[in-house]
Amino acid sequence: MTKQIKIALAQMSCKVGDKAHNIRKMATYITKASKQKADLIIFPELSVTGYLTRDRTYELAETIPGPSAQKIEALAKQNNIHVIYGMIERSTKANAIVHNSAVFASPKGLAGVYRKMYLPTHSVFEEKRYFRRGYESPVFDTPVGKIGMIICYDIFFPETARLLRLKGAELIACISASPAVRRGFFETLTTARAIENTAYLAYVNLVGIEDGLQFWGGSRLIAPNGRIVTQAKYDDEDIAYSTVDYTDLARIETFVPTLRDLHPELFTELKDLTEKL
Amino acid sequence: MQLTPSVLQIDPEETKQKITRFIRDYVTKTKAKGVVLGMSGGIDSSTNAALTTLAIGGQKTHGLIMPEKETLNKTDISHAQQVARKFNIKTTSIDITNILNAFYKSIPAFERSNRKAKGNIKARIRMILLYYYANSKNLIVSASSDKSETMIGYYTKHGDIAADLAPQQDLYKTQIRQLATHIGIPQAIIRKPSTPALWPNQTAERELGIEYGKLDLILYGLENFMETEQIAKQLALPLKTVETVRKRWLGAEHKRRMPLTVKLAFRTVGKDFRLPYDAEE
Repeated sequence: MTKQIKIALAQMSCKVGDKAHNIRKMATYITKASKQKADLIIFPELSVTGYLTRDRTYELAETIPGPSAQKIEALAKQNNIHVIYGMIERSTKANAIVHNSAVFASPKGLAGVYRKMYLPTHSVFEEKRYFRRGYESPVFDTPVGKIGMIICYDIFFPETARLLRLKGAELIACISASPAVRRGFFETLTTARAIENTAYLAYVNLVGIEDGLQFWGGSRLIAPNGRIVTQAKYDDEDIAYSTVDYTDLARIETFVPTLRDLHPELFTELKDLTEKL
Repeated sequence: MQLTPSVLQIDPEETKQKITRFIRDYVTKTKAKGVVLGMSGGIDSSTNAALTTLAIGGQKTHGLIMPEKETLNKTDISHAQQVARKFNIKTTSIDITNILNAFYKSIPAFERSNRKAKGNIKARIRMILLYYYANSKNLIVSASSDKSETMIGYYTKHGDIAADLAPQQDLYKTQIRQLATHIGIPQAIIRKPSTPALWPNQTAERELGIEYGKLDLILYGLENFMETEQIAKQLALPLKTVETVRKRWLGAEHKRRMPLTVKLAFRTVGKDFRLPYDAEE
């Protein structure tokens, strides 16, 4: 069982639509993190393409495996590091089926993919216009821990993180492209998801400005007791390092035993009521 | 939600940071040499000029002072110059009276008495001059429009709103006042009545028939999906006043959008042709 890992939260800005540029930048961060002996580096949502790709979403989509995924897997291998990042995934079934995906690359190749379940389509967001939602919440048992992934707006729905925790996730990676006006929501929710699940939560947000939207950064690692272990800068590119100590979980689970105290019958009622909204 | 002035309270330092970051980012991405903007001596353009200077420096900020005989106001010109000095902004003064007269003379049956049609020429001439400087010096044009004007269409289409960026367009007038105070715009500029100066003695609040403090709260209520009855009740205003503002708010959409076209093809500009704004190749 993995006891401790060193994690790097790489909040970068992207050039919208310029995959080569963005992957080059990711490579720089990966090399830097590897030199710092990080075991896992996490990038923001849609870090390969930038967030607001609008109608270019289709041309920028790639299958997994595909050219971008392979490049990043090669970087993971060369630098002996695990990498979580975001890209537009094209289905192998049809060209216009695309997903907003989080990809987990290990030094041994592709560890897994998570497809965003909750696609915001309100305010400045138009994800359902382009993306198909995901249906699975996989947890990956890897040399860097049992890890599940969620993407940005997923965090507003506690069941996404809870599902991962019940499947054994000890670290939940939330990759994000959150604009500045929503900072308060995310600062609260990231802490809440860690506390209520007694799990580590690594939040990595985009920075930079796309189409007038400013992304606020502020990436952070939150311990299972809600303590912010490390936090990257607001608004500017940054990389923050920290240690994830999985042995903390057992101790904190006894202090706030939320999983022990779950009431399964409430979930049935929730399901029924949600269907009747 | 209670419509009290506190709902329009901004964090001026954070707002300043966001706007200056936005301007800097835009100038960098467009590879422009700087920004050109009109300086009337009013609160909006003074604030925009100052913010631009805080973002990219005075040497890259070019202010055009463009008075004309009919609405000439020496105090306004002196206010523009005062801001330019304080924030180290390069300025050029161009008296547009001769250009306007040439226009008036060239239009067959020019209706001198139609002050709206005539006044709009002034705003559009200023736009042409701003774009002349932008094109000849590789600058981008910045509009000083605020959200109050934008929401009720209180500006000249293709005139003062015509620009490449409008950094403070998401701030109501009362919020611009807070920001202006924070960044050190002189109080004489902040406190004087706003005017588009399209004709003599025009002031915004008199023409609109409502003061900005009230107007902004009505617009804020509409923005937040409140019903007119609710807004009128909370602000102790006649329902008719709120409905008049709502009518202007709805009616100005044509000024805020791309020209309307008919959908004929696969992807259509202004409808479902949607590309990223700042994609770089």
